[in-house]
Amino acid sequence: MIWIAIRMLTGDNQKFYGLLFGIAFSTLLITQQLVIFVNLIERGASSVYNVPSADVWVMDPVSRTTDVNFPMPSTALDKVRGVAGVEWAVPHLRASASVRTKSGDLEGVSVIGVDDATLIGLPKNMVVGTTDVLSRPDTVIIDDVGTTRMFGEASPIGERLELNDQRAVVRGIADSIPSFTSQVTLYTKYSQALRYVPGTRNRLSFVLVGASDEISPEELTARITEETGLRARTRDEFAQDGINFIIENTGIPLNFGITVALGFIVGIAIVGLTFSLFIRDNIKQFGALKAIGLTNGKIAQMVAAQALMVGLVGYGLGVLGTVGFIYAFSANPTFKGFYIPWQIPLVSFASILVIITLTGWLALRSVMKTEPAAVFR
Amino acid sequence: MALSLKNVSFSRQVLPVVALVGLVIAVLYIVTGLPDRELEEPSREPPRATGELAGQNRVAGAGIVEPSSEIVSVGTALSGLLTAIRVEPGDIVQQGQPLFTVDDRAARASLTEANAQIAEARAAIAEASSARETADRQLALFRNVEDPAAVSRSEVIRAEGEAAAARQRLELARSRLSAAEARANSVRTEIGRLTVRAPITGEILSVDKRVGEFVSAGGPQGAGSEPILQMGETRPLHIRIDIDEEQATRIKEGAPAIVSPRGDASRQVEAQFVRIEPLVVPKRSLTNSAAERVDVRVVQAIYALPMSEEGFRVGQQVDAYIPARESAR
Repeated sequence: MIWIAIRMLTGDNQKFYGLLFGIAFSTLLITQQLVIFVNLIERGASSVYNVPSADVWVMDPVSRTTDVNFPMPSTALDKVRGVAGVEWAVPHLRASASVRTKSGDLEGVSVIGVDDATLIGLPKNMVVGTTDVLSRPDTVIIDDVGTTRMFGEASPIGERLELNDQRAVVRGIADSIPSFTSQVTLYTKYSQALRYVPGTRNRLSFVLVGASDEISPEELTARITEETGLRARTRDEFAQDGINFIIENTGIPLNFGITVALGFIVGIAIVGLTFSLFIRDNIKQFGALKAIGLTNGKIAQMVAAQALMVGLVGYGLGVLGTVGFIYAFSANPTFKGFYIPWQIPLVSFASILVIITLTGWLALRSVMKTEPAAVFR
Repeated sequence: MALSLKNVSFSRQVLPVVALVGLVIAVLYIVTGLPDRELEEPSREPPRATGELAGQNRVAGAGIVEPSSEIVSVGTALSGLLTAIRVEPGDIVQQGQPLFTVDDRAARASLTEANAQIAEARAAIAEASSARETADRQLALFRNVEDPAAVSRSEVIRAEGEAAAARQRLELARSRLSAAEARANSVRTEIGRLTVRAPITGEILSVDKRVGEFVSAGGPQGAGSEPILQMGETRPLHIRIDIDEEQATRIKEGAPAIVSPRGDASRQVEAQFVRIEPLVVPKRSLTNSAAERVDVRVVQAIYALPMSEEGFRVGQQVDAYIPARESAR
């Protein structure tokens, strides 16, 4: 019986492909837009996740994200080191500066100063060179996306830059996820960064902390705040802060929300209309089936099978399209680090289920009402 | 329904398979593509509080290694060209050992001059004493004449006057001699001052002037002039630890501190408490920042490194952990 339903469904190529297209297209639209949306706002957390070893970030009470920070006096580092449960603490400087390239252009960059001795604060991996190059004088390490923005295809190794009237030589490329603004990022030693960034009185942006094994990062943040009066966030909390900052300060969620809703509406409209038409066209066949004694329940099963078949195949094709899209653009620096969170295909699967249930149910109503006599009309 | 090629339907069989394969690919891609956000241990050892300090309250500070005598910037009392430097950086010198000499040719010329004056004064003394002798004998001769008519009264007065004048000339010549000797002495002292000697026993840390350069009196405080050499007692070395004044009340005085040099945090040395400086000072930058303006004040605590520790150098930065008082928080 189910097989007859499937044959019925695929019998009319136009309508079948129309249905398939509708489902696949709305899957693609919902999934792909959600993926881009999630990745885009997770750019707000990339600076936090680029530092692979810090459990806790300590900052001035008014600092909000990695980029919106208010520097602290340098003794803040020692205050944090004095808190029991702090395994280690190192200084971390993040500031923006203007760099003059060899061709004379000005380019805004963010300068990140990592602890001189331990280099904690650098991304986990390097594309070119090793982190040891920082021990050479005037060295900066550029991020891989920043390289393409600043130097294009040419290799930046050995390029000389001018930062705050100081010489800086690019000697390495770090493998990092760009920030939301995807500014060029230059990593250098803390002491060096102090020279590269025009000075205000206080310079220390963050203190990166490793929690000792006995204490959870959450407890440690509470203890640091209590003892030093500074704001302490765990890695995940601070990453969330960065994301929330973007959600609160940009129109991105609204824009992507609209697109996702459109995908949903387009899905319902195309699939609903086509499915209704398809059912109406086949009303005679259903009548005939009823005439030979098929129950309504059996017919409902047939319609469900048809809807499920269209839904699953369309969904599979749509997800494949999304994966293909992300894969195709993964080499593009703009899409560096984009990934498909596993929740999103489930969300779109749920949406597709809602669409086909809704349209299937609407179509089924007319079939249920059909009398076996319809076959003779 | 047989699976012959003719019966294969694109829409009924191929498409579902394509969709299924697509889903499998998608699952694999999603699973392998998830970002790596694992926390990891830092690859280089950061400074950490170890042992008993690890779990208890403590005070942390950045410190700098200095000689136990603090740094002595040796200057010169007299300006001039440097003619010889007798020590090199790293030399251990005893108190009083010559360090360097400033050009002493002018002083030596003055000494020769003074010596000539001494000789001149001595000749004048000889001349004056022989004149006095002559005058005295003349006077004695006149005085021994019995007959008052034989010598006129005026003759006697003249002879008396000559004898007195000769005595005074001798006095004058003698005081000239002592003046010349005093001058020679002062020139000798000056020559002595042109050789600068070690004020304390210790190690030469740096020599900042070369032979032939002009050094001016006044030392490092003078406008723009740098010290000629720096020295200090490096046995033992001390560590001056800056502690934020807010934290300073928590220090457990007398307890040893754990220090490790910058860049080699795996090496931890126990340093003995020496004293806490009575004066609270504005924080001086130990972090290489230029022109640091200050609103933080720090208490400076001094700790002594054990004599056996090698590899700590004057001026090096260290990270230090000091136990906090029990009552503190």
